[in-house]
Formats: sequence, structure tokens, C-alpha cells
Amino acid sequence: MAASALAWALRAARQVLPSPCPRQVRSYYVDWRMLRDVKRRKLAYEYADERLRINAIRKNTILPKELQEVADKEIADLPRDSCPVRIRNRCVLTSRPRGVKRRWRLSRIVFRHFADHAQMSGIQRAMW
Amino acid sequence: STSSVLSTEKDKSTASKDGTTEVASKSQERTAGTPKQKLLDIIGNMKVEVSYRNKLRQLKTREVKKEATNKLEGLDREGTMLQKATEGVHRGKPLNPELVEAASAVASSLPLNKKQMESELLAQLRRHEETTDKQKKGGTINIRNVISEMAVKRQSPAQRGVRISNRISLELDEDGQRIKPGRLSPQSFDSRRYFYCVPFQSLKVGRRLNIFTKASTETENALKTVSAPTIWDLEFAKEVAAVTAQPPRNGFEEMIQWTKEGILWEFPIDNEAGMEDDAEFHEHIFLEKHLEDFPKQGPIRHFMELVICGLSKNPYLTVKQKIEHIEWFQKYFEEKKEFLQEI
Repeated sequence: MAASALAWALRAARQVLPSPCPRQVRSYYVDWRMLRDVKRRKLAYEYADERLRINAIRKNTILPKELQEVADKEIADLPRDSCPVRIRNRCVLTSRPRGVKRRWRLSRIVFRHFADHAQMSGIQRAMW
Repeated sequence: STSSVLSTEKDKSTASKDGTTEVASKSQERTAGTPKQKLLDIIGNMKVEVSYRNKLRQLKTREVKKEATNKLEGLDREGTMLQKATEGVHRGKPLNPELVEAASAVASSLPLNKKQMESELLAQLRRHEETTDKQKKGGTINIRNVISEMAVKRQSPAQRGVRISNRISLELDEDGQRIKPGRLSPQSFDSRRYFYCVPFQSLKVGRRLNIFTKASTETENALKTVSAPTIWDLEFAKEVAAVTAQPPRNGFEEMIQWTKEGILWEFPIDNEAGMEDDAEFHEHIFLEKHLEDFPKQGPIRHFMELVICGLSKNPYLTVKQKIEHIEWFQKYFEEKKEFLQEI
């Protein structure tokens, strides 16, 4: 009863209210942290060019400093989730933030699980 | 002496032959007076046992008769018009006079009632000529009437649906293969049935059966122009594609499917697959032409030249993206112009 109510609440909460945000989130990510990470990645992709150009103006010795200060302010005005530094490479299956191998995007536990069941192509137990 | 005997014999034989030929020619001359006589001779010969000699004589006489008729009728008309003339004679007069005379001669030769025989023979001849004329004209009139009277066999819609469904069976075997009915049997049966119903001539000949009302073509055109692919059409198309798309039977078909979807690359590997950059190398490298709007002196120009240097070394961006990059800077510096002038 409680679990079902919790699940219903989670599902309801997952659906973003229509007024502020343009889109509804209906996909089932592992947890909310993973969802937030997904949002950060999308925003970072959108603002990537602008951030690059403004940073090119900022990290400069040729242009006047006043211009660079203005650029600092501009980049600070961008949404906070647009910076790529906030992206965390989580495990794709369990959303574990630590112990994730970049090549497979999996945490060490999941990786070990699949490798032992021979479901990872080209992976073998090391022996030397 | 022997040679002389032989020669005399030869002379005698030749003389005798000459005599016979003379006699024969004389007889022929006597008989070649009118075609009537020839006909009578033929009929007379026909009465007696027809031997080979008589047959030959008949052939000769027929040839002679033809020549004689040619001569007779060639006086008035040309020789090529002979057949047409004879046809005209047939149409103009009911019967050929020669045939009439032949019939009379036959009747006279037979021992029975002559006049009755003659009339019967003439009637037979007339009927024969009528049939020949009809056949010459193309006597399909009777067949036409017969077919128009025939009723067209109508299929019930249930039967038709059953037949169509029999052709396309969507049943699946255990293996997932579609059960295909024997292709030849239903189609050949239907073709045979249709073959008997449809007449040989065109479909517009004959009496109208008034089964269908002629639909106006304007409404059809209007329907076609309005929203060509409807949602139902799309759904139907999707359904058909889903049904026809069978699972791959072997690894090769699986690989083909993956290549179509884009999962598998096309071999031999094309390094420029997916790259649609049609620009030449000089458009990537020589970007100074885009710097015309910038001031030619000062730190901004210096900065922009560095930017261009970096872009020319960048192989990952397209020419469009590079131009956009430069334009963004241009816009940014134009917005900050007032601020820059204060400095």
C-alpha cells in the first residue's frame, strides 16, 4: 500500500509541471539523480558553442581587460547546468557515481557481473 | 533392210501418231465449239467409269474451257477482272448459266423424273451459293447474337472474398514461415472460368446489360487530389510492411537488415561516409574574406586573425560552422562597440 503510494508519487513527481518547463519527462531513468545528470548534459550541449566563444574572449591577453570582465559577467549569467563541469559520468545501469569505467559506462560491480557471465565482448579474466 | 524396216515402221508409227493427233485435234475442234459441249462431255464422262485417261481429258478440257471463257469474257472486260465478273454474274443472276445447263444435263441423263430433278438440283445450287456468300462476308452474325443472349455469370461477393483470401494466406507455420497455397491451382481455375465467360470480341459490342451505373469522373479526381495519403492508408502501409518483413533466415540477411538500419557500416569502409562537406580545401583555410567587416587595426583584428588561424587548422568543423563562429564574434563586438569606444 505504502510502496504503491510511493511509486505513484514518484511517477507523478517525474512528470514535470507544464508551466515552467516546455517538455514532460516520461522516460524511466534509474533515479532522479540520473535524470538531473541527463538534463545537465542536454543543456551543456546547447550552450557549448557560446561558452567556448565567451571563454575565448576571457582567456586572452590581447583584448582589453574591460571586455574580458564583461565576458565574465556574461558567462556567469548563463544557466548553471549549462557548464560541462557539473556532468558526472554515472553508471548507465545503476547510476552509481563512483567506480565507473569510462569505456563501458558501467560501474565496477555491473561490469564484473556481466564479464563473469561472458556477456562482455572481448573481456577475459586476467591471469599472468 | 532392218534399218529401212525400222524407218518405215517409224514412219508408219509417226504417220499413225500424226493421224491420231489429227483425229484428236479434229475431235477437239469439234468439241471446242461451245463451253456447253464441254460440260456435256464432262458429265457424259462422269457417267461412264472414270478412268485415268478420262480424268486427264477432263483436266485438259477444264483448262481449255477456262481459256475459252477468258476469251469469251475477255472481249468485253479485261482478263484480270474475270473473278470479279463471275462474282458479279453470281450476284446479278441467281445462278451461273453453265451450272444451270449442267444441272439440266444431269437431270436429263438420269432415268427419273427430269423436271423434278432439275428443280431440286437448282435449289441445291442456290443454297450452296448463299452459304458461300455468307462465309465470304464473314458470317459471325449468328455467333454475335448467341453471345449477347448469354447471361454473364456473376460471382457473389462472399465467394470473391474467399477466393482473394485463399490467395494471400497470413497463417504462420511453426517455423514462422507463411503457408503459401499452391499458386497454380486457384489462378488457373479462375482464368479458365473467365476464359469461358468473356467473348472473343471487344467488350463494348452487343446489348448493354445495365448492371453498373457510369460513375462521374469529376468526383473521382476530386477525391484523389484531396490529401493523398490518409492516416488509414499509412496504417495499412505499415501493417503490410510489418507482415511482409519476415525475420532473417540466416546471418547474411541479418547483416543486410542491420546495414539498412545503419547499425552496421558499409564495406569496404568509406572514410567519408556521412560527411557531406562539398567545400574545397581553400574554403576551409583562406577565411580572411570573412574579416572584411572588422576594423583593420587594433587588438580585435589581432584576436580575429588568431581565431581564423585556429579555424583553418580545425578539420572537424564544416565551412558553415566556421562562418557562423566568425559571425558570432562580429555580432558580439558590434554590440560592445559603444563600450569599446569609451575605453
